[in-house]
Amino acid sequence: MKQMVCSVCSYTYDEAKGIPEAGIAPGTKWEELSEDWKCPWCGAGKDAFREKTEKPEPAASKASSESMHKAPAQEAQKGRTEGAHEERELSAMEMSIICSNLARGCEKQYLFEEMEGFQKLAEFFRRKAEPEAPANVQAILERINGDLSERYPAASDAASMEPDRGALRALVWSEKVTRMLQSLLARYETQGDRMLENTGVFVCTICGFVYIGGTPPELCPVCKVPGWRFEKAERRVS
Amino acid sequence: MAEKYAVRNLRLCTKDCLCLYVCPTGATDTENSIIDTEKCIGCGACAEACPSAAISMVPKKMPLQQPKDEKVTEALWKLIRSKAHVENLASQLPGSLGAAVEKSSRLMAEDLCREAGYMLPQSGNAKAFLESLKKIPDVPSEIVERLLDAIPFQEEGDPNQE
Repeated sequence: MKQMVCSVCSYTYDEAKGIPEAGIAPGTKWEELSEDWKCPWCGAGKDAFREKTEKPEPAASKASSESMHKAPAQEAQKGRTEGAHEERELSAMEMSIICSNLARGCEKQYLFEEMEGFQKLAEFFRRKAEPEAPANVQAILERINGDLSERYPAASDAASMEPDRGALRALVWSEKVTRMLQSLLARYETQGDRMLENTGVFVCTICGFVYIGGTPPELCPVCKVPGWRFEKAERRVS
Repeated sequence: MAEKYAVRNLRLCTKDCLCLYVCPTGATDTENSIIDTEKCIGCGACAEACPSAAISMVPKKMPLQQPKDEKVTEALWKLIRSKAHVENLASQLPGSLGAAVEKSSRLMAEDLCREAGYMLPQSGNAKAFLESLKKIPDVPSEIVERLLDAIPFQEEGDPNQE
């Protein structure tokens, strides 16, 4: 009897227990669950689940607890990254991201005029970004797979070495959200618009988690913000 | 000038209106419910009295941004760039799932960007970024100038900032 853990929200399916309240009898093997079975917490597909192993904590998180009490003075002396962006050309889209992020930073401090200024700059750079090709689900999935197989592990390693808890937090959240996107887009590849019939698509405005359902969850399964922070993604006309 | 000023979160405000009774300058008594920053002296009486904890005191000067290691920011930027590509591609897809992937990618990129040296609009990084925008020919320069003017940027090593 094995246990399968959701890589998005950590829900665990225990074969020994099943889910009697959902009509899944104790002892039901993972393989026996239907292919379109979804995580009862976050709605991710079976592809987002990994078998629970007794492996020890990854080396990364150990390193972070060992060097947690570094003197702050030492930290401050380390190379700051002032102007790190100057070393290479930023794309219009990347500049738009910096601006919309700084707009949020102003909003949190109730600096609404400054927020508006950054928002306008973000829109300006967004308009400047040329459409890229090929704009299809497959190309998006390729990017997302690259994030999950290479870029997240590399960034998590770098952030654990430091350790940079803020960066690790952001990486954990967005890696889970990216797994959700991977699962949803893979489902979309086989089912197409059928999977969106008679249901809503909601985005958590804090971490970006995407939920398919009638109403947003009570709490975001990734960042745990209350459901009213979700926004409905509206249908677009092509 | 006060060190802090009071702000009211309208989501939490249950209109108990104790702030009106305790405010020594009448700064909290406004029609649009936004506390008048001109009148607020930063005493914190309203925040202490508010039964629904809807008022918080925001510092006028922010502490310096946490220093970031270059290896970490480099790795984060690889992800931000990737999210930017996905946002671009998803924005061209029809339907609500495309819209959701576009929005989600932007939100993830913003959060990673915040951890890659752009947490505070008052930081030296934000200032350098705004300065660099001046070189872009068709940028709305009046907005850039206004931001550079309005934001009290932090100077490295200023003890008042810590």
